[in-house]
Amino acid sequence: MASEETGSRRATAGLLSGPLVWLLVFFIVPVAFIALYSVGGIHIFPTDPREISFEAWHRFLLGHSVYMSLFWKSIRVSLTVSIVVVLLSYPIGYFLALCVKKRKYVLLLVIIAPFLTSYLLRVLAWKVILGDKGVINTALFELHLRSPDHPVSWLIYSQFAVMLVLAYVWIPFVALPIFVGLDGMDMSLLEAAGDLGASRFRTFLRVTLPLSAPGVAAAFIFVFVPTIGEFVTPQLVGGTRGFLFGNAVQDQFTRALDWQSGSVLAFFLLLVVGILMALFGRFSRVRTVRT
Amino acid sequence: MSDLAASRGANWTLRIFFVLLVAFLYLPLLVLLVFSFNNGDVTFPLQGFTTSWYAKAATNPALLQSLERSAFVAIASSLITVVLGVLASYALVRRSFWGKPAFAALVFSPLVIPYLVFGISLLVLFTAFDRFLTITMGTYIGLGLHAVVIGHVVVALPYTILTVTPLLERLSISLEEAGHDLGASSWQTFWRVTFPLLYPALLSAFLIALTLSFDEYAIASFLAGSSPTWPVFLFAQLRVPSQLPELVAVSSVILLSSVLLVVIAEIGRRRSERKYAIGPG
Repeated sequence: MASEETGSRRATAGLLSGPLVWLLVFFIVPVAFIALYSVGGIHIFPTDPREISFEAWHRFLLGHSVYMSLFWKSIRVSLTVSIVVVLLSYPIGYFLALCVKKRKYVLLLVIIAPFLTSYLLRVLAWKVILGDKGVINTALFELHLRSPDHPVSWLIYSQFAVMLVLAYVWIPFVALPIFVGLDGMDMSLLEAAGDLGASRFRTFLRVTLPLSAPGVAAAFIFVFVPTIGEFVTPQLVGGTRGFLFGNAVQDQFTRALDWQSGSVLAFFLLLVVGILMALFGRFSRVRTVRT
Repeated sequence: MSDLAASRGANWTLRIFFVLLVAFLYLPLLVLLVFSFNNGDVTFPLQGFTTSWYAKAATNPALLQSLERSAFVAIASSLITVVLGVLASYALVRRSFWGKPAFAALVFSPLVIPYLVFGISLLVLFTAFDRFLTITMGTYIGLGLHAVVIGHVVVALPYTILTVTPLLERLSISLEEAGHDLGASSWQTFWRVTFPLLYPALLSAFLIALTLSFDEYAIASFLAGSSPTWPVFLFAQLRVPSQLPELVAVSSVILLSSVLLVVIAEIGRRRSERKYAIGPG
């Protein structure tokens, strides 16, 4: 018996070691590295500071830096996009999970499929649509609503363009958790609510919506996390007005080559996401328990 | 049943909304597809039909090389991901061990790290390691495809586990026990019993990892060094307007292939579910 137990324990260790080592070495250690780098704990380049100091953090957090205002701008953009995307995806998830009887998985796949095509390609498509000589502007010229010398210029290279494209990119992905949350719902609950005299709207507010809250929270996180670190879309359709925090972080590593400041920004972003995640996890758990 | 969730009017509204959203999702892709056959640049008016962009793309060596690199990275990282993912899923579903919640948190945490931050972290790690090698041994490894593979494995791993664990959970443990009782070792049981039953889920996990890696730009942009993968190459070329139709042509081919892959993955998933439904519960 004892030998079997050690054997099984060894087998478990064998199963765990691969994924564990990979994630420790290539995920935890690198993240720890930027944390250390941001306070001068490691030095890679000759110009890197030799001793531990929180000066770069201090400069970023309290020095009224442009990065801080960019960060708040990114938060605003990400929040707006996440909320819009969740609001647009919710009816889709609701419709597919509760109203469609046949072929709902096929229809779900129709919604998700664009997500599995190239991200850059989908951004590129909007560049073609929104550009000064793009689909929309050309249509306006043809209809003589605009003269070709004065295209609607805010369509591209603006914060609007960035938000539109980000929403477009993330809708397919977000419909999924909302759908999953609603699909497992016990329909007899709706029946019961109806029998007890609740209107459909009331049933939705008091039964369906609270039950779907964890799915909505997951959906929100699924958009918020990638968009808060977004730097590709702003570069392609954002111009200077669409410049976000992510672009500033990338700049520090590719152009400005101030890796220490860059590490401060990157690790700060990670901290913010981590804190939000913890808060959200709590929120969705509380809701599940209550219902 | 459907009238419980929405009134007739609401149902119609939802249906119309669904159609509009599908149009919103697909029209931009259709626009790209149209331009890939346009005998001109990517602005209106359309200039007539041509397939020359496809021919041009097929003979662009830098472009083809970047596709080759991406194919290599995608296949290598997906294979590693599936192996590690199966190990982790098996441990999570079938074993109890100390620190299991922490392990679960660890394997899923790549889902919530912005790729930008992760790409930078690996860049710092590899650069620091190279620095160390240079000082101690006078040599270095440098960035490149191996670094991209390593990064993609990390971010694809949670998706693999999310694909494999549900099936593993529902897969009756009695089948494995039967294998044991008949004298098979754990290893034999895995290969002869569990693996064949899991195979369809593994295929869809592999395809998910494949599409994720093939399309991944943010991490690759920091780690590819002097060997750009397809998305990195694509991004760099987007600034050259004359190249645009060619890139759109290649992208259209990739788009159609990835739709095909998705369909295959979905069929695989379904088949695995059916297989399970027939099997003993």
